[in-house]
Amino acid sequence: MVGEIWDLIILSPMINILIVVSGFLFNNFGLSIIVLTIIVRGITMPLTMKQLRSTKALQELQPKMTELQKKFGKDKQKLAQEQMRMYKESGVNPAGCLLPMLVQLPVWIALFQSIIRVLAVIPEDFLKLSGHLYTAWPQVFSLVPLNSRFLWLDLAIPDRFLMLPILVGGTMWLSQKMVTPRAGDPRQQAQSQMMLWVMPLMFAFITMQFPSGLALYWVISNVIQMGMQYFITGGWGGLASEAAAKPAGRDKKYLTRITTVEKKEADYGETEADIGADVGADIAVADETQTGGTGPARYQPSLRAMKRHPKKGKRPKRG
Amino acid sequence: MLKKRIISKVLLLALILVVLASGLALPSCRPAQGIPRGWSGVSIIDDALFLGSMEGKLVAIDRSTQGRLWPDVPFKQKQSSGFGCQQGTQAVAIYGTPAVTAELVYITGYNGKLYAINRETGATRWVYPREDELDPIVGGPVVSGDKVYFGSSDGVLYALDAATGDRLWIFESGDKIWGTPAVNGDAVYIGSFDKNLYALNVADGSLKWQFETEGAIVGTPLVYDGTVYFGSFDRYLYALNEADGSLRWKYQAKNWFWSHPQVDDGIIYAASVDGKVHALKAEDGAVVIVFNMESPVSSSPVLAADSVIVAVESGQVYSLDAGTRQKKSLVNLEEEIYAPLAASGGVVYIHSADDVLHAVDARSGATLWSLELESE
Repeated sequence: MVGEIWDLIILSPMINILIVVSGFLFNNFGLSIIVLTIIVRGITMPLTMKQLRSTKALQELQPKMTELQKKFGKDKQKLAQEQMRMYKESGVNPAGCLLPMLVQLPVWIALFQSIIRVLAVIPEDFLKLSGHLYTAWPQVFSLVPLNSRFLWLDLAIPDRFLMLPILVGGTMWLSQKMVTPRAGDPRQQAQSQMMLWVMPLMFAFITMQFPSGLALYWVISNVIQMGMQYFITGGWGGLASEAAAKPAGRDKKYLTRITTVEKKEADYGETEADIGADVGADIAVADETQTGGTGPARYQPSLRAMKRHPKKGKRPKRG
Repeated sequence: MLKKRIISKVLLLALILVVLASGLALPSCRPAQGIPRGWSGVSIIDDALFLGSMEGKLVAIDRSTQGRLWPDVPFKQKQSSGFGCQQGTQAVAIYGTPAVTAELVYITGYNGKLYAINRETGATRWVYPREDELDPIVGGPVVSGDKVYFGSSDGVLYALDAATGDRLWIFESGDKIWGTPAVNGDAVYIGSFDKNLYALNVADGSLKWQFETEGAIVGTPLVYDGTVYFGSFDRYLYALNEADGSLRWKYQAKNWFWSHPQVDDGIIYAASVDGKVHALKAEDGAVVIVFNMESPVSSSPVLAADSVIVAVESGQVYSLDAGTRQKKSLVNLEEEIYAPLAASGGVVYIHSADDVLHAVDARSGATLWSLELESE
């Protein structure tokens, strides 16, 4: 039942569209995959934009999260409560970052199934293709099996020349690097460095196991992602050198909320100054050194530093 | 500090290299795509049955006792070893039905090899090619005169000396060949993914004529009464003049023709994956009756007990008679069927997708015996 629904609404439409588009593009399946990628990224664009804004807002909340961790590090429950409160008040949904990727997961699976069917990889899979073809579209019957050659690739098998795994990993690394904040906390810095490498390496590894057609989708998808990030987050982000890093303003949607949260947190810091006082004092001193000590005692210093160097996210030096 | 950075960068580089190396090694032993299993049909000669099992073995069965005539002959292909891989060999998928002569059994493997096996002992007489491998072979071999013919996914039709395995000639088509050739008189016919049906001279492989369709051709052509009948992926069944390849008539179904057509009493039975068997007059293609089979048909039908026996993919087996317009359900094997059917003495032999060989009475539909081919 689930399989039939999957075939009806996802797999069969994708197969037929890929075949027809390929027919219009000189029977070139590689170009057909590129067009499919652009269509999918176009459809999921609203989600991607939401994700990017959310990511950006999360980055701006990062210093506050660090403070919370320091403050409630031993009380996990309280820490979780405070984090949730902060997310809620600032209108940020951490799970929202994953949504565009989750939405694309069925596309990856369907694309993989489409590739092994339309390229006649093995007889069993190719025979199953007949059940997916739209009888009302006569041209699809004449076009299959599609030509698997594209540039140096055989789209039905992994790229033996390693170019695609490198491209997939490389473009993913670049894309992630653009949105990875420079965390002030060394522990966080290490974590984000790890995340920066784990996903690209994982995808590079997977690319070596799966048909090149799927990897082609990932490369194009990553390039589109980078383009969207450039325009939405305002520049190359983490890719730009520190001197050249453009200060990117906060997204309007989150600006008011984050400012409110900052204000609340500052008040909160003043009324509960006894909690984690040593940490707060440390930062307050640092801030005074940098800014003349005009800000609220607990969170504001590092946030101000973020505002002045939003892309660098650098902590002020301790005096 | 600098030392730490250098160490971490070296470790990172090592990690990248390990990932790349393991990724390179794994595809050879764990392909991301499905595993080919095969769907070999049965060849019957005298009292013996020969077929390829889904474990990649040639099986010879005494049909009266259902015992093995000799131990199964396994075909293996090298499995590259590497990081995370188990070293060794893997079974070869067999899609083609073996061809049998008085002396030898010929069988093709998905590993790109043709094997000639001694029919009495099961010993390998020769292998083509002796070294290396061709692209995967999906169609079966055909023996005619002193030659054996087969096509490969490299798009080439090979003609070998049936006794020695020496290559006599080849014919290159424009795309993969997955079908089994048909030989009639001085011509060999083969369809290709390049959408053409080729008629070649058996003597030297020179082209007699070719006919272009709008779709790939997989099914084995049927030659009957001066006409060549074959189906294409463009959904047409074609009838061509055997002499010059000119079109006599064509008939459109709703989906591919994958299997080999059958003829009985001047009526062509063409099964399609549209779930129908189209019974057409051989002379002009006029529709006699269209049988609705309610499941795609990719297995080639067979003549037995004055009827055409058809197995559908869902496992149901029918007996069809266009003359009386009757469709009789024989048996439901409740297992998918893709392999072509074979019949002799009123018994139909069906190799189902669970690697079981069934013997079914063509009149009553009674299952006479079922034999699991999987070795213990």
